[in-house]
Amino acid sequence: MNAKQVDSFCYIDGITKRIIKSWIDREPPHRVPWTPLPKKLAECTVALISSSGIALKTDIPFDQEGERQNPWWGDPTHRVIPKTATAEDIKLYHLHVDPTFAEQDINCLLPLQRLAELETAGEIGRVADSHYSFMGYNLQPEQLLEETTPAIIATLQDEAVDVVVLITA
Amino acid sequence: MTAAVGAPRVAAIEYPFGRTVGQPGDISGQMAVLRATLKALEEMHTPGEIKHLPFEWPETPKQARSHPLEAPPIVKYLQRRPWDLRKLFTRDVPTQL
Repeated sequence: MNAKQVDSFCYIDGITKRIIKSWIDREPPHRVPWTPLPKKLAECTVALISSSGIALKTDIPFDQEGERQNPWWGDPTHRVIPKTATAEDIKLYHLHVDPTFAEQDINCLLPLQRLAELETAGEIGRVADSHYSFMGYNLQPEQLLEETTPAIIATLQDEAVDVVVLITA
Repeated sequence: MTAAVGAPRVAAIEYPFGRTVGQPGDISGQMAVLRATLKALEEMHTPGEIKHLPFEWPETPKQARSHPLEAPPIVKYLQRRPWDLRKLFTRDVPTQL
């Protein structure tokens, strides 16, 4: 029996906590989508998605300047991160998250190397070729939900991914 | 928030922002978190279920650096226009700044 109860608000200040609780209270009831795990984890292809705005240095940066110009806006696009990416290959663009740690070790937020080790150990079937990141700060998520998310899902399906781990920033 | 928007399975962890999976270079710690998350996936059978992971961060929340050195744009904006804070509570995004 695990007695630990996670306090999701312990790292944020009182006002931010009240704001997030207000957003939670305003969420309409959602139908929770459910897909049973289709096979044993040792046979599954696994992909990671990070909401911390990570992009390859060679890719188009997330639009930080757009958010600086309009602080109510967040870049609704996404970037693909190949399974071989390391900290040297990426930048973190989320303006609400300290980039120091993941830019030092990508596994703090996108544990690609750890996932590869689980593949080698036979604990998962395969690491997907592509992984994904988007900006978690988005007060108006219509484009994120209507364009970005379907585009990510299409690639996940193309690569026959069975399991997706979404890692919050 | 993740649970409130209808995530099918949630593995909750009490780690600071920017280090959700663990400290830089802490290979065994990161692996333990990823393994526990995937194990939770196998163990959860109810839509919307939340599994509280048992990991403890080695610093207190006040000690742990969890925010960027530069305040986010919305924070700076609200310092200039504190009366707009109520709009953030309701996500009533201004059409003109």
